[in-house]
Amino acid sequence: MAGPDHAIDTVVAGVPVAARARRLNLWYGPSHVLKGVDCDLPERRITAVVGASGCGKTSFLRCLNRLNDEIEGARVEGEVRIGSVDAYAPGTAVHALRRRVGMVFQRPLPFPQSIVDNVTYGLRVAGVRNRRERMDRVEAALRLAGLWDEVADRLGRSALELSLGQQQRLVLARAIAVEPEMLLLDEPTSALDPAATLRLEERLQELSGRFTLVLVTHNMQQASRMSDFTAFMHDGRIVEFGPTGTVFVNPRDRRTEYFITGRDG
Amino acid sequence: MTLRRRLDGGAVWAVTGLASLCLAAILGVCGYVLVRGLGAFWPAPVVELSLRDGSVHLGEVVAWDDGFLVLRESETERVGAHYRRVARGDIAREARPDDAVSLQGADGRRLFVRGGEDPAPAVVVESLRPNVLSTLDRVGVTLARAARFVTGGATGSPWVGGMFPAIAGTLLLVMLMALFVVPLGTATAAFLHLRKGRAARLVRGAVATLASVPSIVYGVIGLGLFVHGLGRALDQWFHAAQQPVPVFGSGGLLWAALTLALLTLPVFVTSVDQGLSRLPRSLEAGSLALGATREQTLRMLLLPAAWPAMLTGLMLAVARACGAVAPLMLVGVVELAPALPLDGEFPYLHPSRQFMHLGHAVYDAAMANPDPFRGVSRAFAAAALLLAVVLVLNFVAMVLRDRLRERYRALDD
Amino acid sequence: MPVSPRHSGSLAARFPVARRPRGDRWVTWVVTAAAVLVLACLAVIPLFLAGSLLIRDTGAPDWSRLGLLAMDGLRATVCAMLVALPLGFAAAGVNGLAARRLRGVLRGLFELFGAVPTVVLGLIAVAALAPWLARHVASLLAVQVAIPAVLMAAGFAFGVSERGARWRVAWMAPLVVALAAAGLMLADRTDVILIRPGSPWNAILVGFALGLAAVPVVFSIADDALAQVPGSRVDAALALGATRWQAFATIAVPAAAPGLAAAAMLGFSRCFGETMIVLMASGNTLVGGFDPTRGLRAPGAELALGMPDASVRGADWHDLLLAALLLFVVAVAIHLAADVLRGRLRRRGEARQ
Repeated sequence: MAGPDHAIDTVVAGVPVAARARRLNLWYGPSHVLKGVDCDLPERRITAVVGASGCGKTSFLRCLNRLNDEIEGARVEGEVRIGSVDAYAPGTAVHALRRRVGMVFQRPLPFPQSIVDNVTYGLRVAGVRNRRERMDRVEAALRLAGLWDEVADRLGRSALELSLGQQQRLVLARAIAVEPEMLLLDEPTSALDPAATLRLEERLQELSGRFTLVLVTHNMQQASRMSDFTAFMHDGRIVEFGPTGTVFVNPRDRRTEYFITGRDG
Repeated sequence: MTLRRRLDGGAVWAVTGLASLCLAAILGVCGYVLVRGLGAFWPAPVVELSLRDGSVHLGEVVAWDDGFLVLRESETERVGAHYRRVARGDIAREARPDDAVSLQGADGRRLFVRGGEDPAPAVVVESLRPNVLSTLDRVGVTLARAARFVTGGATGSPWVGGMFPAIAGTLLLVMLMALFVVPLGTATAAFLHLRKGRAARLVRGAVATLASVPSIVYGVIGLGLFVHGLGRALDQWFHAAQQPVPVFGSGGLLWAALTLALLTLPVFVTSVDQGLSRLPRSLEAGSLALGATREQTLRMLLLPAAWPAMLTGLMLAVARACGAVAPLMLVGVVELAPALPLDGEFPYLHPSRQFMHLGHAVYDAAMANPDPFRGVSRAFAAAALLLAVVLVLNFVAMVLRDRLRERYRALDD
Repeated sequence: MPVSPRHSGSLAARFPVARRPRGDRWVTWVVTAAAVLVLACLAVIPLFLAGSLLIRDTGAPDWSRLGLLAMDGLRATVCAMLVALPLGFAAAGVNGLAARRLRGVLRGLFELFGAVPTVVLGLIAVAALAPWLARHVASLLAVQVAIPAVLMAAGFAFGVSERGARWRVAWMAPLVVALAAAGLMLADRTDVILIRPGSPWNAILVGFALGLAAVPVVFSIADDALAQVPGSRVDAALALGATRWQAFATIAVPAAAPGLAAAAMLGFSRCFGETMIVLMASGNTLVGGFDPTRGLRAPGAELALGMPDASVRGADWHDLLLAALLLFVVAVAIHLAADVLRGRLRRRGEARQ
């Protein structure tokens, strides 16, 4: 079930919180990348994370699903809670966490398998054996990702034959199929042409009714178009966070203002 | 031009020249084997020599140097019994009669007659008039003979007849070997992928060290440990009734396959290991992000994606197995196997039987053939076949590996 | 909220995440078992071979025979190295200077040649080389000395230009081959037999075939070593006005020296443990001594010929196992030493980037 158990009791602007980070620090070897990030992510809304290159947006995202664990020399301190679960507690099974937090990367990277095998991958990992059930979930996921009509008649074909935009939606479907609570999206449209970008944005806005979305983007128009909340990161910290309208029109912090006006117009 | 330049020039020319010689040697060796191997089938003319002492001899010239030549005459009694050494000085006249006929019997004997006479050996496999053949006809005869060589069966003597038993034996050996190497090798490569750190370094080092061990040492282990150790034990448990005749306690297909599996394991493991590490890191990241463990990722995504590397590794292992004659000499290869290890009687595959091998056939034909002229030709023909197989396998594996390297380089960020 | 409306209950409820997915346990078992088996295989070889020394009950090992075998093997290997090292190093050097496309072709050629079964090389030695060599040892050696000398003189006379340097070997090869062939044919005519080897099966014959078999190993390791020299150092030399050859000879070669030493060692190891070529071309009689015109019995041949007939636990058997142990120890020791050398090279390359 999407939606956290009740243990996180904070509320942001009247919206319950799906996940939160407290005093989050991250080092890649000697390099201090995240310097005490505090953030609450509102449930079933789109939160955009913006900032200059190198400010730590992607690294922050990767802390939420502990993908940084795979990098040698990465060290994390602080607290990350997804729902009621402490992500970095010693007893947490990493793969269990990652099933609840899906991720879509910058470049669409479908597995070198058929379309249907791509989408059922997470289901097979989870242990769904019944073919019928798998196919049902595949169809539902592809519909939600807005790809079903285009691939329904060629599910067995290789995923690599799809266009980039279709591949990205396939990857989205793949992530959705395992029913995560949160979806992390790391610049998902940066490799796509404008038409495919718009289609993906439409889909994501529809999905925000079901999932909590965290969207890293360097495209300010996209952030202001799509997101409900915006977090501005600077030099490894979240400097400002709030409803998108407020952050863009009336930023509290000077650095936020410089960044936004520097990009806009 | 400065002295420096000149000295450099000398050095450059010398080094480049040596490298050229090297290349020439390499290409020359391969070309020589292939040409001489195929040339063994080329139909030679039948000559009629009239000597000064009045005798007339009909036959085929098989060897010559400045002073002498060796003539193969009709082998009326048995194969290889009728060679005549003739001094060039003794030859009064040399002719190539158009009606000369060359016959080959099923037992390998060659007969030469003038047209009209009818010697009629029991079964004639080939009959030609080599002196009147056009070049195109000769090519046809060469190909026909080569085809018979490759597909023909044994004739009761290891030195006459086709290569089919050797090819079949090699094929069976290689398949049985693959049954051992592929699972073990894949699992080892999977270990190397899953574990970083000291354990992986140790195993990688062990694999590399195993690769450096001479092949004959593997043969010794095969003989000492498998044949005499495991084989004897198996015989005591399962074949006690047949004692003291060894069933598994002597060389055979099974032990040879195990020995070669050990020998080719490093090649296979290295290929799969490299294949796995060349896959884009993002692939594994994508799978982990879906909640898969590293083991699941390996099993469900990475190993299937690395199948070309497994194929390449297998091809390299097979090529190695075709060429590794020395260890096989200790664990069960023979010049003439009484029966194939695969036949119609249950259980159809007989892993305790001895077998024939293409590489060993080359050695045997060259060193042990009582008819040295036939032996060398046969050895070159078998060697050409062996060389062709090995080169093709390696070439395809190389091309496959390079193409994949390019593909994944483009894929990775 | 469940994604699929047809099934009651979400994925998490119906398929809760397992602490450790079912398949993982046996995957871990299988891969660990495989790794253990591989380590065991490596350990078994010396244990089995050395163990026989301990349980031996048929008197002391025949050390003198072992010593002679080692000497004969050494003699064959040294003759082979005299062929393999110049050819292999020269080829690697030329490859380092060649154009990129040519480099790929050359590497592929040598890799393919490395796969040629040694029984084929042995056949050539026995059937084609031996008869000719028996009468022309002196001519061959003369040609071997003459060709580099002629080339050096030509190079000295003409100098070397930078243009066309990268494809030089392509047009020079046919020239050199023609030269060599002409020289050999000339030598053939002279029919003067200056060096008469004791038998057609001698160390020189073995040296040629064995050396040729080792060339791919020497080439590939040396080529690797030269390729790992940081490009920046060579570029610096070129910027100072050196020709490609000068940069290569004075910068790249010394920098790659450990790798080149490793190449020679690995070539040596390949030759020492080889069986088929010596079996076919060496005469297989134990001789000892340093005379290249006499035959030899290499340890590999000793094993191939002796083991099938030796009765288990007899004195012969144990002596043969000892010979096998010698081959194993030599091969592994050289391999480890070469690894150390190459590791040092790699670290040097990384540090100076």
